Amino acid sequence: MFQILSWTIRYIFIGLIYYFIYHIIRLIYLDIKRINERQSKQFNSPYLKLVNRKESLDFDIQEFYDLKDVITMGRKKENDIQIMDKFMSSQHAKITMDEDEYFLEDLGSINGTYLNGTQIQDVVKLKSGDRIGLGQVEFLFVKEVD
Amino acid sequence: MRPISILVIINAMLFGLLYFIVEPRNTSILAAGGILTLLIIIAYIIIVRRGMGDQYLFLIISMLSSLGVVMIYRLDPAFAFRQITWYGAGVILYFLSYTIFRWIKNWDKYIYLYIGFGISLFLLTFIFGTTVKGAINWIRIAGFTLQPAEIIKLSYVFFIAAYFTYPEKLKNVYYFLGIAYLHIIFLVLQRDLGMAMLFYGIFISIFYVFYKDNKLILYNLGSSVLIVVFGYYTMGHVRVRFEAWLDPWRDIAGRGYQITQSLFSIGTGGFFGTGLGMGRPDYIPEVHTDFIFSAICEEMGVFGGIAVVLLYFILIYRGFKITLTIQNTFRKILALGITLTYTYQTFVIIGGVIKLIPLTGITLPFISYGGNALVSAFIAFGILQALSKRSLEVEELLDFGEQ
Repeated sequence: MFQILSWTIRYIFIGLIYYFIYHIIRLIYLDIKRINERQSKQFNSPYLKLVNRKESLDFDIQEFYDLKDVITMGRKKENDIQIMDKFMSSQHAKITMDEDEYFLEDLGSINGTYLNGTQIQDVVKLKSGDRIGLGQVEFLFVKEVD
Repeated sequence: MRPISILVIINAMLFGLLYFIVEPRNTSILAAGGILTLLIIIAYIIIVRRGMGDQYLFLIISMLSSLGVVMIYRLDPAFAFRQITWYGAGVILYFLSYTIFRWIKNWDKYIYLYIGFGISLFLLTFIFGTTVKGAINWIRIAGFTLQPAEIIKLSYVFFIAAYFTYPEKLKNVYYFLGIAYLHIIFLVLQRDLGMAMLFYGIFISIFYVFYKDNKLILYNLGSSVLIVVFGYYTMGHVRVRFEAWLDPWRDIAGRGYQITQSLFSIGTGGFFGTGLGMGRPDYIPEVHTDFIFSAICEEMGVFGGIAVVLLYFILIYRGFKITLTIQNTFRKILALGITLTYTYQTFVIIGGVIKLIPLTGITLPFISYGGNALVSAFIAFGILQALSKRSLEVEELLDFGEQ
């Protein structure tokens, strides 16, 4: 009885351990692929740059975010930029592009969205160098002018 | 399925099987396995949630140590419970060394501290050391046995890294070479040849990567060959090891006993092994420390053995990847040094038990029984984890900076 158990388990074990190794290698592969993609991307589009020192924040955040046509920010997973800041609302703010201009809009957040230190009430137009404050985080809006 | 759940399934399966192996049946092994798995899951979740850098390091380490605990339990249950205790201590130290390494900023400034630490520990070993299996490398304190070389390994890497960051702190390169060789000479005097080889490997590799003058490296390599030849003719135990390696079959009952038993054991296993608990790996002396790889090969087959080697491969690959992304010289050398330490250690012992190179007593990282080795490995990889966190941050900045 014990022999049969031991014999079957050795095959399952060997299968599983290779499956484990396969998984890790696949994750590493994806990891490397992501880095390569990031390196080859064109950076002529406007982006958000983090102003805070990254070490001072206790949640995961990137130093840079690219802007697309519509970008939503908040705590929820559905947002384009998900930031697990406890002072942010689940859907906090939105940046939309219209005819090459970018507009910032608050999505009814509790703690508000700030542009250069003043809380915004309505949709505002962004210009390069503006500071956007949400929760504990502050972003710099950069739009290269050629 | 995510890797962590595969790990849990493997653990559940192996510990379940262990329950049936050892008579009389003892439910404490199930509890021990459960605690071990729970510890792995909690630590893994902390690493992922807190964004502590590389996620794979700890997973691979956990897989290796679970395999180790299973194998040790199968060989001797008493050792396994101690090993699990050490594993728990190791995980705590993993996070502690991660925190402390990030907390203190000026690690590259204390070169004299690292030298002093290493040398004084060696001297202490000589004064208070006890001889175990022909090597004077243990200190007994209040019931604990301490193997200082395991910790000196780390301070040695720190010392080399600190030197190459600020070479002007030592008068010239010969002072550096003197101190580096002093460590190795101490180990040779203690008759701990495996460690001496390991230290030399770390030293010469980092020297090769970071020192500009190729001539000096060649002199070093040349003199090391001379030292080996000299050692072969002057030291009896070196010759014994060497002869046992060249032809273990000549003296099968004596000098070649251990290595031939190891080869028999690997041969018996075949491709899929005899099955856990069905083989007789206990014929090999010291099977739970140095020869655990042969036991794994016997009971889990050559495929199991290759899987273990592959796990070390990806672990080491992660180490090198972390090294490549770091810009700061000190951190780069530190990451390289830690990775190399465990690379050579794995190579020396696996090579030894399969008769690829002469056998020297050194532990297989994370699998072999031994509290000192396990704890120092956890500290080392905790530092590597901290380095990986840094490197991932810098990497992102660099990617955008280059545009």
